[in-house]
Amino acid sequence: MSAVRVCFYATFRPIVGGKHAEIAVGDDATVGDLLAAIVERWPTLREHLLRPDGALSKRANLFVDGRALRFLPAGLDTPLDPRQEIDCFPAVAGG
Amino acid sequence: MQLSAFGQNVAHVNLATGRFELRPTPEPWVRRYIGARGLGVRYVLEAGPGVDPLGPENVLCFLNGPLTGSEASMSGSWACVTKSPLTGTVTDSHQGGWTGARLRWAGFDGLVFEGRSAMPVYAYVEDGRIELRDASPVWGQGIHQTIAFFQQRYGVKNLSVNAIGPAGERGNRFAAWLNEDDRAFGRGGTGAVGGAKNLKAIVIRAASKKSQVDDRQAWKQVRREALDAIRDEVNITSPRKGGLSVYGTNVLMNVTNRIGALGTRNSQKTSFGDRAEAISGERVQETILVGDPTCHACPVACKKEVEIADGPWKGLRMESVEYEPAWSLGANCDNDDVASIAKLIDQCNDLGMDPIELGNVLSMYMEATEQGWAPGGGGLAWGDTAAMVSLTDAIGRCEGEGELLAEGTALAAAKLGHPEIAMAVKGQAVPAYDPRGLKGMGLGYATSNRGACHLRAYVAAAELGVVPGEAEPLDPLEWKGKGQLVKTFQDLHAFSDSLDFCKFSAFAEGADHYARQYATAMGIEFGADEVMAAGERIYNLERHYNNLAGFGAGSDTLPARFTQEPSSEPGSKGHVSELDAMLAEYYAARGWQEGVVPEGKLRELGIV
Repeated sequence: MSAVRVCFYATFRPIVGGKHAEIAVGDDATVGDLLAAIVERWPTLREHLLRPDGALSKRANLFVDGRALRFLPAGLDTPLDPRQEIDCFPAVAGG
Repeated sequence: MQLSAFGQNVAHVNLATGRFELRPTPEPWVRRYIGARGLGVRYVLEAGPGVDPLGPENVLCFLNGPLTGSEASMSGSWACVTKSPLTGTVTDSHQGGWTGARLRWAGFDGLVFEGRSAMPVYAYVEDGRIELRDASPVWGQGIHQTIAFFQQRYGVKNLSVNAIGPAGERGNRFAAWLNEDDRAFGRGGTGAVGGAKNLKAIVIRAASKKSQVDDRQAWKQVRREALDAIRDEVNITSPRKGGLSVYGTNVLMNVTNRIGALGTRNSQKTSFGDRAEAISGERVQETILVGDPTCHACPVACKKEVEIADGPWKGLRMESVEYEPAWSLGANCDNDDVASIAKLIDQCNDLGMDPIELGNVLSMYMEATEQGWAPGGGGLAWGDTAAMVSLTDAIGRCEGEGELLAEGTALAAAKLGHPEIAMAVKGQAVPAYDPRGLKGMGLGYATSNRGACHLRAYVAAAELGVVPGEAEPLDPLEWKGKGQLVKTFQDLHAFSDSLDFCKFSAFAEGADHYARQYATAMGIEFGADEVMAAGERIYNLERHYNNLAGFGAGSDTLPARFTQEPSSEPGSKGHVSELDAMLAEYYAARGWQEGVVPEGKLRELGIV
């Protein structure tokens, strides 16, 4: 068991109650496992982060070292590394 | 207010004689170019592509769209269209607030200023009348004081004032117009065109009026559908819920920073690291936000009014700390002091300048100083906020070191002998999305008809996950497919800019929403496919004007920094902009030959 630091932004911050949180995951955890742990801890985030089939919602952005999870070759099976920077955003736009 | 008769009440104001006449807009122009941006470009083309932007022969068009000031959501925008003294292209800029709506309620679809006044004047508009009146009491004054003067003279109720400041009066090439809500015709130097014409302000008094639409029931229904879409977009536009509503445009600061698309130190880097948080929308909301003002008929309220509680700018209350200036005067200048950013934006609002261009000209000068290229005795250090404030005042007044920098980023860098440190396209500085981390935005900058611009295409949303229906987000680091994407959004926004709807409506509404509202208001048949066709026609008309004005093959480009210096930051590390490959795709989608609209395309679109 280890802890991963996840940074949250915009309208996700009021939900998690801060800018970042330590999320406990197993030693061989994947990003998918991390997402499951996040929505278990903050059930309100489920509708923002996941589709009904468990895939990442297209209206959310989870970045691993600045790359959107949806564009990583292994997707939700991407292995977690404690040195990775994980950022969690809702879909945002402005101008 | 008869929407179906749009275009019949455009006033042509001769500044030399002081007379105005209502000239009905040719019906084919309204049908082909809709209004606001599209119609303005047609008027500017009529004046000729060879005019001196600061000469009396240039026209300065303030135009509503057919839906400006109506009950439709986010319909508070109007357009300023002219030949730009910054770029030499046609340019259009859009101002929010209530001024365009008041012009409509005063009985006009637009004001086209021609010629030059012998003395400073302002246009007073009320109840179908226009008078040119003496502006000498406010000539030389800042915009805030100018507005206060007119509010004292005419009262605050039902009054809008759109004015230039010292920057416009003195020929600063990126001078802007602002109104009482600090909403700007920001880009392209339209304020300098006003100054060259001795036109200080447009003062409009009008109470709100309901629009006259024949089918009231259908009008209510189509507006309801659009409002529902805005409310249902929970992540972005939904009032008090979406990120744009809660944090304003500056909700973008952290995300572009984290993906390596936030230009830093004159785009020498693509991320501001941990310092971006200090200038983000989240931090502003936590610390200095005091109000969420809105524009006509807008439920989103993205404007963010702030008050500074301590430090050298203690007591400053201003609006609005937007993403673009927070970037241009922040990360781009190596500055993480949000209070100083608020101060600098407020200076721009009062002197009348585009803060995107200002931030770029300052960062260019900082790099020049670092390299030892600044003129003797001058210079500006990275992140020196006190010096930035001082120099900004000089730039706005075109004095001392500011005289050179008032030429704009590209021309000033060229005069320093180092055009390569100007982050600009066609003479206009780049906005807040580094093309190495958001590839589509780079193509959008290069092919924008008004010089570097984020709003012509605004594909950043699609590259950050905001796509309609079943469509999937596009990889920001993939160049393939961006040609068609950029064309599609350029065409869509050319239409919405001509209605004239706030650009942010497109985060919730689509071509079908626009078509139904336009068709119902005008009492015509008009479908989503015609929205895209009209947008394409308008975009090609602009390009045709630019071609005639001398912008041909090779004009669609990016600074070499974006195409040759790879990003070193997480998210976009190792990437450059593959501009040539994207341009080939884009030109194929457009049917253009190396950036030039061929005769056959002009005929196909009904432009000639």
